[in-house]
Amino acid sequence: MSVPTVPRRIRSIPYLLLAPALIVIVGVLGYPLATLVQISFQKYGLAELLKGSGSWTGLSHYTDIVGDSFFWGVVGRTIVFTAVNVALTVGAGTLIALLMRKAHRAVRLTATVALVAVWATPGLVAIAVWQWMFDYEFGVVNWLLTKLGAGDFTHHNWFENPVQGLGVVTAVIVWGAVPFVAISLHAALTQVPDEVVEAAELDGAGRLQVFRYVILPVIRPVLALLTLLQIIWDFQVFNQVWVMTGGAPTEGYYLIGVYSYVQSFGVGDYGSGAAVAVVMVLLLALVAFGYVRGLLRKEQTQ
Amino acid sequence: MLTCRSVMLAIGAALALTATAACGGNGSSNSSGKPEKITIWLQPEAAEWSATVDKVNAEFKTKYGIEAVVQTQQWEDHLTKLDTALAGTKAPDVVELGNTETAKYLAAGAFADLTAHKAEFENSDTWAKGLTDSCTYEGKVSCVPYYGGSRAVIYNKSLFAKAGITDTPTSLDELYAAADKLKAKFGSDPNFSAFYLPGRQIFAGMSFVRDYGGDIARQDKDSWRGTLDAPQAQQGLAAFKELVTKYSKADKTGGDRTQDATFAKGKVGMTYGLSWEIDAIIDPKRAGNPAMKDKIGAFPMPSHTPGQTMPVFLGGSDLAIPAKSRNQEWARKWLALYTATAPQSDLAAKGLIPNSTKLLDKVPDAAAPFAEAARKTWFTPVAENWITVEKKSILQNLQVSILTGKAGLPDATAKASKEITEILNTRG
Amino acid sequence: MSTGTLARTATPTRPGKPPAAPARRRRGGRGLASNLALLAISAVMFFPIYWMAVTAFKPGPEILSYTPHWLPSRFTLDNFTAAVDRPFFWSGVANSLLVVSATVLIALVVAFLGAVALARFEFTGRQLFVAMILVVQMVPAGALIIPIYLMLNRAGQTDQLPGVVLAYLTFVLPFAIWMLRGFVVNVPVELEEAALIDGCNRLQAFRRVLFPLVAPGLVATAVYTAIQAWNEFLLAYVLISTPEKQTMTVWLASFTTTRGTEYGPLMAASTLAALPVVIFFALAQRRVVSGLTAGSVKG
Repeated sequence: MSVPTVPRRIRSIPYLLLAPALIVIVGVLGYPLATLVQISFQKYGLAELLKGSGSWTGLSHYTDIVGDSFFWGVVGRTIVFTAVNVALTVGAGTLIALLMRKAHRAVRLTATVALVAVWATPGLVAIAVWQWMFDYEFGVVNWLLTKLGAGDFTHHNWFENPVQGLGVVTAVIVWGAVPFVAISLHAALTQVPDEVVEAAELDGAGRLQVFRYVILPVIRPVLALLTLLQIIWDFQVFNQVWVMTGGAPTEGYYLIGVYSYVQSFGVGDYGSGAAVAVVMVLLLALVAFGYVRGLLRKEQTQ
Repeated sequence: MLTCRSVMLAIGAALALTATAACGGNGSSNSSGKPEKITIWLQPEAAEWSATVDKVNAEFKTKYGIEAVVQTQQWEDHLTKLDTALAGTKAPDVVELGNTETAKYLAAGAFADLTAHKAEFENSDTWAKGLTDSCTYEGKVSCVPYYGGSRAVIYNKSLFAKAGITDTPTSLDELYAAADKLKAKFGSDPNFSAFYLPGRQIFAGMSFVRDYGGDIARQDKDSWRGTLDAPQAQQGLAAFKELVTKYSKADKTGGDRTQDATFAKGKVGMTYGLSWEIDAIIDPKRAGNPAMKDKIGAFPMPSHTPGQTMPVFLGGSDLAIPAKSRNQEWARKWLALYTATAPQSDLAAKGLIPNSTKLLDKVPDAAAPFAEAARKTWFTPVAENWITVEKKSILQNLQVSILTGKAGLPDATAKASKEITEILNTRG
Repeated sequence: MSTGTLARTATPTRPGKPPAAPARRRRGGRGLASNLALLAISAVMFFPIYWMAVTAFKPGPEILSYTPHWLPSRFTLDNFTAAVDRPFFWSGVANSLLVVSATVLIALVVAFLGAVALARFEFTGRQLFVAMILVVQMVPAGALIIPIYLMLNRAGQTDQLPGVVLAYLTFVLPFAIWMLRGFVVNVPVELEEAALIDGCNRLQAFRRVLFPLVAPGLVATAVYTAIQAWNEFLLAYVLISTPEKQTMTVWLASFTTTRGTEYGPLMAASTLAALPVVIFFALAQRRVVSGLTAGSVKG
């Protein structure tokens, strides 16, 4: 599909098309990104921020991080957390999108309204509502579980045990992210021709086969992108954990986003914060590049 | 064609936006002469006394011919915003900070040194200690106390009456006795707390530490030492643990987010709270219950020494002039007006603790117990790295582990002390 | 432009099993099941929103209670009045609308052009560009906030809404380009060529062929961009100082002070804020996704 059709003679066309995007992204982010990398090699606290210049410390921030066994524990926890969240989000989102394709118009509209309403809820409010639902004293969830006979959940604290607490955080995150995945995939699904699906079904293809051989090839680019984005976002989760633990997470709650805040940004150590950010990007890039390369290659061979 | 036109329109619009923006800069101040205006960042509580702010600004305008522009900020991410503004060239001329947030800025020299100008501020000789401490670093005063919030025991009068308690307690033992009576009378309700106290309330736990003569950390010369493992501190924490485990149904691992709503349900005999929590309990907007209005009373938290009150942590706000402000002289004049007796009396009338002990009697009767408690205050160590202790939740985690029995007092306090010592002594 | 062309290119393999069971009957049953499943999922998804909206109508003491009030004992509009009467509500709404529409408009145009370049052309630096927009997504915004501020400050764009738009663009563009690329890739080049041969010029070919097929992607991207911009807090808060210029989300944060959170008005305000987005999208979804595409692909 990447065969250049007309424009081989006009080489500048793709660059012209990309120019506006490049100008905005490089223009606004180029300098900040360079600064970020630069101060990750510097002693850069509040005093240096006020002066506008730090003093070089070489690799010390990086060796501190890499040498910190606690950090690697945090990375491990973050990877597990990310994997669970991404799997749930993308799985549920795909399921909803597929269901929407089949659904009656009115049902689809209902689903769309529910999804968009969730999506349009500002993070601050979403967290407040979920906090209520899982509240120790007044939570609907505790009340409901007790009523349903799941045991006595009166005064059950969901955040005492970090595994449970991160479970609630997962619910909040998946709930908030599913609409984006579902709606984007639903849009991608409109490109799947009904006739082909019907023909496949008439040929006796099962549901999974139809999905795998007919639908997946069409939505693959979008699905891949959504998965990648979810990985990137879930890897950086901070706010939900911070607010839902009342701003005092115990060590079992330390994801890499929390770690970087507590260790550096929250206390004004921008140099080491920048180093953590760079390490995060490198870790993510490890995952992403293999993945993207595979993706691009697959498209080229098709 | 249509598409093409819309592309051009969009690009045109973008250019137009940028163009207008480029022309829209307002160069209001020049460093040499008198500015047309100064910019002041206040936190959103100031909306409650906006009349006072307006009055001060009007006075400032007539006196000096300068407009004071107040820009209300939010608490969420406000330090991030402050940091960026301090790094840039458009720093405001006056900023408000919570008094536990100042140390880092004082250590970095982010605020103008006011030591030589202290006399320009009315009542500066009687500034509340808890607030002044938060503005003083290595002997230099770099901010001005704004107002404080003091804590006292808030109690449910009608439950007290029903349980046959006639006098408010004046010692910890009397407090326990009252709590026993409440528990005997209402304890069958699983949601009832004779004394509601969530486990992460460090300003309660640490007040006990102070009451028994302990400290969070002490400074000898230029090094810090965490002292929560000292015997007095452990005694205080033991007393705190007894109060919580015996009388509180509140979340041992949680904060005070629903404290006022729980009190408003009438399920709480006593709690330890700030003066304005009384308003929250009866405010329907904050999930409170207006019907509680006449049932709420307060008394200072009693000490274990009969007849005395327990030292209270004075939370609150300070006002500072960023060192980068180009209008420092005028900012000082505005600050002098805003922190003087008249505006402070207005704040006191709202139940806040004014910046000067001299004005404590301006506090209305309902808030008088809080003002009474504020005569004996303590403050967290003013050390450059104190904020790290806060962000790492060391005190909260200490209390939680003691209360849930995850660790014994000696072990938990030894661990916390060690961590605090390490953090406070880390150099830059 | 027959559907045949599209079908051929979009189906790489077709399972070659012999026809089995009567597909038609099974499909009907599945339809009911999937409708019910979707309704159930929607209900679960919607519950927190319902809880927010119903709280907005509750009198104070019912907002938090030991036994949940599924409906208020009496509907009150006090919370809505308190929210709307709060200073800077209307300016917040206006600023948010302005920022959102500018961001969406510019992002769509710029991203679409970029997407065509990535999907239709092979050129030196393509891989580099792809790598770049991915890396940009990976850097936590919190780590960039100070340098971004300093840069916009130097350009005189702090405390200016266009500065906010510019900052938002950098955060939505990488995704928008990449997303749209996925849609453009799926439109066979042959379709466009057929249109060119039929005598359309490039723009017409774009308008009649590419645009309708990519429209769902444009809508999805627009919604993504709009919601990101509408919900963003940190950049808007840090970049804007003048209260008159602050956006809706920043205004929402003012319900939380050291005195506690005004839950009732906060929920009322969020309900009000979510409403226009939901209505707008429900309309857009129906018209564009189902109507426009289906019509033009088949016609």
